[in-house]
Amino acid sequence: MAEHDRESDDELLLRLHSGDEQAFAALYRRRQAAIYRYALNMSGSAAVAEDVLQEVFMVLIREGCGYDPERGALSAYLFGIARKLLLRHFERIRGNVPIDDEDAGSVMLELAVDGNQLSDLARSEGIAALRRAVQALPRRYREVVVLCDLEELDYADAAHALGCPVGTVRSRLHRARALLLEKMQGEAGPRRAGALNPIRCSI
Amino acid sequence: MTCQEFWDSMPELAPDGAPELGEHLRGCPACVAVLARQRQVAAGLRGLAAESRRVQAPARLEGRLMAAFRGEGGMTEIPLRARWWSPVAAWVAAAALITAAALLSLRSREAQPLPATAPQMAAVDWTFGLAIEDAGGGTEEGEFIALPNAEQLPPPAQVNMVRVELPRSAMISLGYDVKAEEAGEMVEADIVLGSDGLARAVRFLN
Ligand SMILES: [Zn+2]
Repeated sequence: MAEHDRESDDELLLRLHSGDEQAFAALYRRRQAAIYRYALNMSGSAAVAEDVLQEVFMVLIREGCGYDPERGALSAYLFGIARKLLLRHFERIRGNVPIDDEDAGSVMLELAVDGNQLSDLARSEGIAALRRAVQALPRRYREVVVLCDLEELDYADAAHALGCPVGTVRSRLHRARALLLEKMQGEAGPRRAGALNPIRCSI
Repeated sequence: MTCQEFWDSMPELAPDGAPELGEHLRGCPACVAVLARQRQVAAGLRGLAAESRRVQAPARLEGRLMAAFRGEGGMTEIPLRARWWSPVAAWVAAAALITAAALLSLRSREAQPLPATAPQMAAVDWTFGLAIEDAGGGTEEGEFIALPNAEQLPPPAQVNMVRVELPRSAMISLGYDVKAEEAGEMVEADIVLGSDGLARAVRFLN
């Protein structure tokens, strides 16, 4: 076990593809929680998160999974697969109930936080309010917060996972933080134009 | 540097004490205050991240994947449990759908405006166990159930009821027992919508 812990993801993947069960187990244990939490935070459903995580590792098992170490870290690649699976999930939901995600996010924002909770952030109530505010963010902002702030990917890895430039990751995070601040201050809180300036970014 | 230029530089994402930020901050107490609040949010996110570390995938999944890895040939046959529906998203979607309908002044046949002052609303308890007397008295309709978050919302001045279709899996988040094989079925539901466009309660038909 300890030996596996010292190996890089790429080394484990190489051995995994040569049929090494221990390497597969080590890689799974190293990466499962973050991908599961990402899928959970994005879908709001433990069942979906479990299915996404299962599929991510099924892709990895398959020969020629498409991972290229030159293009980014394996963990970023795994988040990228999870993201594609989640997009498929959202497409299905949209098939059931025609609804634009941005609208869904804004409705949830209204439901999310009541009053000024900024000063509570050192307490568990404030953290719980912040969690609701994160879950209520429109998807494109929520995913950068989940990846960069909660799972602590660096901007380059997040960009690789999202398939967008690093600048887009930063600008979305900037906007997401402003939205979170706005929600945590409550509707009555002072609006600071500087913190809430609109940003331009592609979908 | 103007305040706009300062925020365009995304200072909350820069490391603490980045020199190019200090200059503007020295002359602008307003931005100092906002940046301090931004740092509070960032600290809160670190707290949330630390708390979230406890969350892991269910242990059964490792066993399933290891079996798949060993089996190889049978690998592609592991079924997904086909519960691709998020209860939270379902409620959000329903609420947003209704909001959109209200904005367009579209009202379905079933929509019934219910002024809050009308006698039948006297029984409504917006904080717990929300119940609305049913004028129609249909036997196939269940009781209204307050949606998560409804208790945090102010009582609406007026409510509307709209009939929608939802996947049965949406009932799980309200404590109903739903069999996995039925989770994808659509069920009819009445949703109580406040004049602010937010859903307060639901009841399932049949
Ligand atoms: Zn300023």
